[in-house]
Amino acid sequence: MITTTYGRYGLSWWMLMHLVSGSAYADDRSSHADDQATLRQEYVVDFENDIIPVLTKAGCNTGACHGAAVGRGGFRLSLYGGDPELDYQSIVFDLEGRRVNLAKPDDSLVVLKPTESISHGGGYRLDDDGSGAERLRNWVRQGATNQTNKHLREFIVSPRRQTLQSLESSVALASTASFSDGSEFDVTQWTVFTAEDPGSVVIDPETAVATVLRRGRHLVIARYLHHVVPIELLVPWSDENVSYVVATRRNFIDDVVADRLAQLRIPVSPPATDATFLRRVSLDLTGQLPAMETVREFATSDHPSKREKLVDRLLQSPEFTDYWTMQLAKLLRIRATPDGREGLLAYQAWLKQCVADGTGYDDMVRTLLLADGDTHVMGPANFYRTVAGAREQAEFVSELLMGSRLRCANCHNHPLDRWTQDDYHGLAAIFAKVQSGRVVSVTRRGEVTHPRTGEPAKPRIPGEAFLDVQGDQRAALASWVTDASNPYFAKAIVNRLWKAMMGRGLVEPADDFRSTNPATHPELLDQLAKDFIDHGYQIRRTLQTIAMSSTYARGAPFDGNEFDVSFYSHAFSRSLSPEVLADAMSDVIGLHERYGDEPSGTRAVMLVDSATASETLDVLGRCSREESCESSGNSAGGLTRMLHLINGPILNQRITAANNRLSQLVAVNANADVIVDEFYELALSRKPSDGERQYWSAAFEKSNPQDRRKLFEDFVWGLLNSQEFITNH
Amino acid sequence: MHPIEQATRYTNDLSRRDSLRVGGLTALGLGLGDMLRLRRVSAGETTEPSFGRAKSCILIWLDGGPSHLETFDPKPDAPTEVRGPLGSIATPLAGVRLGECLPNTAAMIDKFAIIRSMTSPLGEHNFGTHYLMTGYKPTPVLEYPTFGAVLSHVREAASVLPPHVAVPDFRVGGASFSGGGYLPRSAMPFAVGGDPAKPEFKVRDLDLYPGMDLERLARRREFVQAMDRLSSSGGSPVVSSGSDLDRAYDLISSADAKRAFRLSDESPHVRKRYGGKSIGQCCLLARRLVERGVPFVTVNNRGWDTHDDLKTRLKEGYTGAQVGVGLIPSLDLALTALVADLHDRRLLDETLIVVMGEFGRTPKLNASAGRDHWPRVFSCLLAGGGVRGGQVIGSSDSVGESPKDRPITPSDLAATIYTLLGIDPKLELHTDDGRPVRVATHDATIISELLS
Repeated sequence: MITTTYGRYGLSWWMLMHLVSGSAYADDRSSHADDQATLRQEYVVDFENDIIPVLTKAGCNTGACHGAAVGRGGFRLSLYGGDPELDYQSIVFDLEGRRVNLAKPDDSLVVLKPTESISHGGGYRLDDDGSGAERLRNWVRQGATNQTNKHLREFIVSPRRQTLQSLESSVALASTASFSDGSEFDVTQWTVFTAEDPGSVVIDPETAVATVLRRGRHLVIARYLHHVVPIELLVPWSDENVSYVVATRRNFIDDVVADRLAQLRIPVSPPATDATFLRRVSLDLTGQLPAMETVREFATSDHPSKREKLVDRLLQSPEFTDYWTMQLAKLLRIRATPDGREGLLAYQAWLKQCVADGTGYDDMVRTLLLADGDTHVMGPANFYRTVAGAREQAEFVSELLMGSRLRCANCHNHPLDRWTQDDYHGLAAIFAKVQSGRVVSVTRRGEVTHPRTGEPAKPRIPGEAFLDVQGDQRAALASWVTDASNPYFAKAIVNRLWKAMMGRGLVEPADDFRSTNPATHPELLDQLAKDFIDHGYQIRRTLQTIAMSSTYARGAPFDGNEFDVSFYSHAFSRSLSPEVLADAMSDVIGLHERYGDEPSGTRAVMLVDSATASETLDVLGRCSREESCESSGNSAGGLTRMLHLINGPILNQRITAANNRLSQLVAVNANADVIVDEFYELALSRKPSDGERQYWSAAFEKSNPQDRRKLFEDFVWGLLNSQEFITNH
Repeated sequence: MHPIEQATRYTNDLSRRDSLRVGGLTALGLGLGDMLRLRRVSAGETTEPSFGRAKSCILIWLDGGPSHLETFDPKPDAPTEVRGPLGSIATPLAGVRLGECLPNTAAMIDKFAIIRSMTSPLGEHNFGTHYLMTGYKPTPVLEYPTFGAVLSHVREAASVLPPHVAVPDFRVGGASFSGGGYLPRSAMPFAVGGDPAKPEFKVRDLDLYPGMDLERLARRREFVQAMDRLSSSGGSPVVSSGSDLDRAYDLISSADAKRAFRLSDESPHVRKRYGGKSIGQCCLLARRLVERGVPFVTVNNRGWDTHDDLKTRLKEGYTGAQVGVGLIPSLDLALTALVADLHDRRLLDETLIVVMGEFGRTPKLNASAGRDHWPRVFSCLLAGGGVRGGQVIGSSDSVGESPKDRPITPSDLAATIYTLLGIDPKLELHTDDGRPVRVATHDATIISELLS
């Protein structure tokens, strides 16, 4: 439970779910208790390794119960037993030691409460005759000691991945723990198995048998002590083999994606037409609709490698630089600081130069991490002014560079990942020495307090090693982050590039990499990361690889794969981002929109300041960059947005203007067919179909001459509000 | 649940119909026949006497988490650091006291039911908001719909006004919280986008652009529909912009609907009675909407996240105010005016009023003379359709730290609200991939003493 002053946004859903959901209660049957720990007479029950799993399995130490930050009913345990010392203290010494009764072990509160032999606010958690209660009694009988001479080395779960052939099939889950002293135990009955979606997978808490009720891919998380391991269960979408349109293999992406589709028996859509591909890849790489000449040229060209050439040209265009500067600026949350725009301008200029030059992403990040100086001159130094405070900087850096939400490890060890409080506060300690006023500099002082020890936290590379307390440790951090062997850095960025191109990340959310949130296509993520590293951390290279795969070039869904939202059997239709949509509207209308005091002709994707006044961008739902832009939904949609498009100035003012594209066409007496064709090509990158031509000529024939202009205006308005226009598909 | 039917519905038309039959309605669309059947099923399965007593609901949402100790659950006998800077007053109910800033509410206590033993484990704003507004703890796999979304989804439209209106906006629960959950976009709340307490108030973009007329608007709609129909590629054929466009068109073209938002039609006397603050005029607008058949209105009132300076924020409104114009006096005025007004118009019996926020505040004052988040125990208030007024349900311990008796979860509250609104808590709705989901959680129990 989080009780005090957390920020308002962006805690992990997953974290929450696990903090509040008690595990299934452990109704242990003694017949099932193949429990060597308690059966062997000479065995001394080990608090850390034997008792804590009992408490975890019974749900005692969840966030909803005693695992809450302030405990429950005056009894506090660490979340999921992350801090055995604290738990031992709570059970054995707190409350004047009444929780254990060495004289009468059976009367210990730690036994009587969970078995509900006496009143317990948390109800019945342990069978009085079960092996859990027995183990607790044995431990007290032996003196309730805290001795341990081993630690958990490996937690092995089987199966890790299983394809079931039909619905309602079951699979028995099993787990083994091996310890540093060489001992090994079957710990299935002490493992908490939690289905990510309990409506899809039902797990019997006694037998650990999982039954799958819905088709598709499902996750189960197995927890034992501080280890958490995901299990993937699949039920194919069809009982029979489906016939595939076999797509051409263009690169490694296609292999992995095709394997997965075959495994899940999802049929594949036919490839996209040239026109669809042209529009899609232009929007993805440059944030712009293709120009009319390009549309016509591409439609008529029969060059065998015209798509490759197109992609190469787009990647080298200035529009690519503008668009991807914006994409990265959103990721870096570049925005104006309270003391003015100078820092913003310097930061943006640096970033744009990096994108234009094709600077390796590793170089960029090294520069950011090591930056100092006057932020009004040294652009990258503004990196240290993105958020306020060392802990916040640690959270920002972990989300940006590792795709991980280290923030969960602020108050307790991360319940769903490897991160500990040492990692979180250790990373923050590195940044604590950075002074981030207008001039960014590193001082000798500056520390963060570790909440558990009350002492200054030791600087630390998360999950790796403590660093020297003295001196600037940013260099050590930077070389660890950008090292080719770093397991997070390359994956975090290629996943974001993949998402930008495909509409969905291999890991979702893109800033929530966790062992318990595996990629839909782990091998693909590995290969994309390796390719990225092998080719100098070049963003263009990865975008090009994705753009040239046949996976990227798929057509629309059909009746048979329309349910697929994560395996790329068809192209995913996505709403154009607010900036791209605003620019696309301007391009089709043929008049720029003014943004704040920016010079006329400034495109929305080129805006340096995300706070530039624009009702249009507000209504379309732009991201303010004050928080991460990755999780913000499109809550500005619906009726409010529609009313603005109908009655606001964004479209009406410019559609009726005297100097727009429509006016020019009308001025030269263009006939209706020409006008329809031209607008279709501009807005949709294609010519109208026969059916569409017929519809429009019928619609325009009926009109009287005075109404002609208004009719065309309504046509343009309709086009700009059609589903095909407002999406990239 | 019927997993086999669910799983095969994509390949087999028959099973799609089956899923309709199983749940009564799906996200794919709902005909009137289905709706009538649903109504019957709902009414037949429940025996609660107050089932369906309320036709509509006004949720007064105190965003940020109102202090239970300064409002509905004062602790006059507790130590100073718990009692806080404000006093308490008696009500006509023996032994029941309210915070000193609620004199009007206290006088009308016979109309109100107060729950003092609400409890939740979620002490973060967004999580708490999801839980209180949907009855479900948030999960990563599914966004649940708010009460308003469910109600507007299952009710037949009574007017062209949006069935779920948020005044002045629905900026709650974080950027990704749409309020509509897994239901179609039409269930999302419509934010009026302006504060009715401001003199220049009007609903954003409701009036036609100069030079436009309804005939042309109709033509534009027709063109969009034609393009979506004729286009072979493009977006999903099911959720098209058409539905938003239709709703917008209906709203713009109805003079009567637009009049609902015209607060200037109310007499100065009435406007004053509700209080000049946002919450008052929002409640007045809510009454006008409910009168015209809008089933659910959320009045979103900000500022209740009082980490510091309780006295100024909650009571005075500004430092040194002679007459308190802070959050609680404004609530007191708005709430009692709304209840009295609805009563005078004979609408109170069919309008449910719920006053709550995402959690309570810490029993002990913090160093800034404020209180931090506290979900373990907090209060909420209900009135109107089907609610038995003049009672306090449950209690907290002597310092307002934990429920003393009768702990009630947000899930229980949700099941009760649904019952009052005539929706069986066991009713299953469907996500757009066909999954059946109950409107209230399995473990929710109806707060029977609340019902009249």
